[in-house]
Amino acid sequence: TDYSFPGMIYGRILRSKYPHAIITSINVKPALQLEGVMAVITYKDIPGLNGFGLIIQDQPVFCEDRVRYIGDAIAAVAAKTEEIASTAIKLIEVAYEPLPILDNPEDAMKDDSIHLHSSGNILHRQTFDHGESIEGAFSSCYEVVEETYFTPRQMHSYMETEGGVVVPEKDGGITVYAASQHGFKDRLQLSRILDLPEELIRVVSSPIGGSFGGKDELNIQPYAALLALKTGFPVKIHQKRSDSIKAGLKRHPMKVTMKTGVNQEGEIVAHQARIIADTGAYASLGPAVLDFAVEHAVGPYMIPNVNVEGFSVYTNNGVAGEFRGFGGNQITFALESQIERLAERLKMDSIELRKKNLRKENDPGPLRQKIVPTNSAFTVLDKIQESPILKKDKSFQGKWTLRGTGCALTMHGGGLGYGRPDSSGGRLSLNEKGKIEIAFGFEEVGQGLIASIEILLTEQLNCTKEDIQITIGDTALVPHSGSSTASRATNMIWQGIKELKRPWSRLMLEATSELLNIPIEQLSIGPKGIWNSEQRVDANLVITYKELANQLEVLPSITTSYHFPTTPDPVVGGHYLYSFGAAAAEVEIDRLTGKIKVVKIDHVIAAGPVVNPMGYLGQIEGGGVMGLGFALMEDAVMENGIYQNENFDTYLIPTIKDIPLQTNVIAIETLSKGDEYGPRGVGEIGTVAIAPAITAAIYDAIGYWVTKIPINPEDILRAIQMNKIRHSHVK
Amino acid sequence: MTTEKQIALSQPSEPVSLEVMINGEKYRFELPPTYRLVDILRKTLGLTGTKISCEVGRCGSCSVLMNGKLVNSCLLMAYQIQNAEIETIESLSKDKLDPIQEVFLQEGALQCGYCTPGMVMALKALLIENPNPTKEEAIDSLSGNLCRCTGYSPIVRVIDRLVKV
Repeated sequence: TDYSFPGMIYGRILRSKYPHAIITSINVKPALQLEGVMAVITYKDIPGLNGFGLIIQDQPVFCEDRVRYIGDAIAAVAAKTEEIASTAIKLIEVAYEPLPILDNPEDAMKDDSIHLHSSGNILHRQTFDHGESIEGAFSSCYEVVEETYFTPRQMHSYMETEGGVVVPEKDGGITVYAASQHGFKDRLQLSRILDLPEELIRVVSSPIGGSFGGKDELNIQPYAALLALKTGFPVKIHQKRSDSIKAGLKRHPMKVTMKTGVNQEGEIVAHQARIIADTGAYASLGPAVLDFAVEHAVGPYMIPNVNVEGFSVYTNNGVAGEFRGFGGNQITFALESQIERLAERLKMDSIELRKKNLRKENDPGPLRQKIVPTNSAFTVLDKIQESPILKKDKSFQGKWTLRGTGCALTMHGGGLGYGRPDSSGGRLSLNEKGKIEIAFGFEEVGQGLIASIEILLTEQLNCTKEDIQITIGDTALVPHSGSSTASRATNMIWQGIKELKRPWSRLMLEATSELLNIPIEQLSIGPKGIWNSEQRVDANLVITYKELANQLEVLPSITTSYHFPTTPDPVVGGHYLYSFGAAAAEVEIDRLTGKIKVVKIDHVIAAGPVVNPMGYLGQIEGGGVMGLGFALMEDAVMENGIYQNENFDTYLIPTIKDIPLQTNVIAIETLSKGDEYGPRGVGEIGTVAIAPAITAAIYDAIGYWVTKIPINPEDILRAIQMNKIRHSHVK
Repeated sequence: MTTEKQIALSQPSEPVSLEVMINGEKYRFELPPTYRLVDILRKTLGLTGTKISCEVGRCGSCSVLMNGKLVNSCLLMAYQIQNAEIETIESLSKDKLDPIQEVFLQEGALQCGYCTPGMVMALKALLIENPNPTKEEAIDSLSGNLCRCTGYSPIVRVIDRLVKV
């Protein structure tokens, strides 16, 4: 959004006034007459497909006759200034006939509900069953806990709202400078909408001012592209925060009803979950998020009888989609809360209860699919048990505050899962400037990908960072790599560099050998250039990369493509590589206000070798605070399909004053014997176990089970008062 | 009705003549009195180091110094900066990085980097006013700057180092 180009004009998008209505007419004339307006476009101006969506293209670029949510686009304006564009969209006259609003997925599921899409209101249903009849299994249980949990419509809250510039090119094509997590997918989607061959579209999708999943889907790109092609000028659109809130994706609010039964020994015998996810008006990645939640409903526990059923339901609420944790956060909050409650019923330590039920090294995955053997569930749990947070002494209650501690555990799949195209590619070459150039189609979202590539490549090739050049996030310059999502990029670059290293080194050394007439066995790749390693003591530099690039007619270059490691068992969406995380939290509750302060968090993460220590730490710490926001403060509240928050003045995210000043991250790097899959991504795992660790700490402090997050301080206050009454009765 | 009113309000008023120092250089502009400082910086001068995010003074991404004090450039209008001295993030790193920026890099206190200029300016403002702040004071000085990536922990480590120095 910082780019400017000569002749650049500004675009603005008109969003719907109603969450659900028929459009009876659109009159753009008054806007067109405003001085400085260059173009006003509607559905009539789309040459290709009037639809987008990562998997299902059910979201109109511009609505023609019906709006389904408050973020629906109806028209867009390009004008000489942003101010004129803002005025112009207010001049567009749209006549609506409001329709009944479905603002609750359970209402939307009823048979007599108005259908939001021709396929009905249930976007996706997913189930998982294992073992015998679940009712029979429950009847044999010693204790059964049943509860319903609610999670919020969390907003990604990237600091940079959606935006960018689309530049029309002389060949009739366009260059799209707009942040996203999958440049090639943007190109494909834009090609459909614009009816323009993909080759004429160049997408520069990196760098990004934050995304967390929220910019994987298209946002402003189609509008800026249509306006640029129509006017012939570069068009910049940078969404206002209020537009970003209306139109942008959110985390799926989920209602999870869980019933879990144990025997007297603490072995979980039966587990049932019913998940209802509010996916909003359009599909986006709703089905995959639900699949992920269903998959992770048993977490790292081996349970003989399981029955899970999930629904992703269309409503007139804001569109929900991909968000760091991908359905795992919601389901883990419910599951770990169940574990804590069962432990309480059994008068058993909750960590011991977990250990009794934990998956062992060679156990199958949560969908009973084959996964890479791992004992990390035990390793992280053992380690978190040693956390000083959990070894509190009894004297730490304050006069005006109550303190408590708690922990939670999680297991998180990496990659897109079985049956989903999950390939990647990379290219390693010596470029004309004499740099070792590595190219991937990934994007730098701030996750530290560039640093990770630099570290891996210099390590693998034994060269220096001055020798290399990293090219990412530009469809004109890089091979297809798939998306920078699902904690997949780190593993993919590791795999890519490993695959490219040998054949490319061979090409380099062969070329040098031929050029200088030195036997290839004596040559090796090193800092600054190729070295003669015949005499081990004083190896010498025989040619620099720059000289080599000048002298060679054909520069050594290797392109590879490969797939994210996938389970051999045909379980759609099932993962093969998992990472594990445990968190311990200490909270301080104000007796007078019910306000909760998280004072300490410890993380233990097992995700294979650490590639980039600073990046790793940043992902876990940052993810942890995002998890804290999810638990304590964040919810994009909707009433009758209308967002009640328009900006950061009412949608609160953690500030520097809200964070635990003591945060420790322990990384467990060991992998099981024979595990050759290297580093797993850590982009998501740090967010997942925080909410249940915090709610367990709250229970420890005041004996109140939180079932709905974000936690309402009034509920906490009420619970504290109830406690007092109860205590005085006992006396 | 409401639509007409809003449009009337957003009609630009007559330009005024404005003199202002920005990063040590004197500028003269003819601008509507309500034109925002952040737009002067980003659009008129191309100083895109100053970011926009909430545009209501909540997030601190657009923080700059006015006469040595921290301000949100999204909330200041042209008429309010007459004869003022404005310093943006660009003024800090003309030859080499400011020590605050150095420490941010060393501690990995930025990921996407969008909030960073605002954070750095906020700390700069603090150190101008109070060269020896306590950790508490330094943390307070950043309470108006939102960051979504780092979770602030590395920024607290930056503070630890700045407070020590």
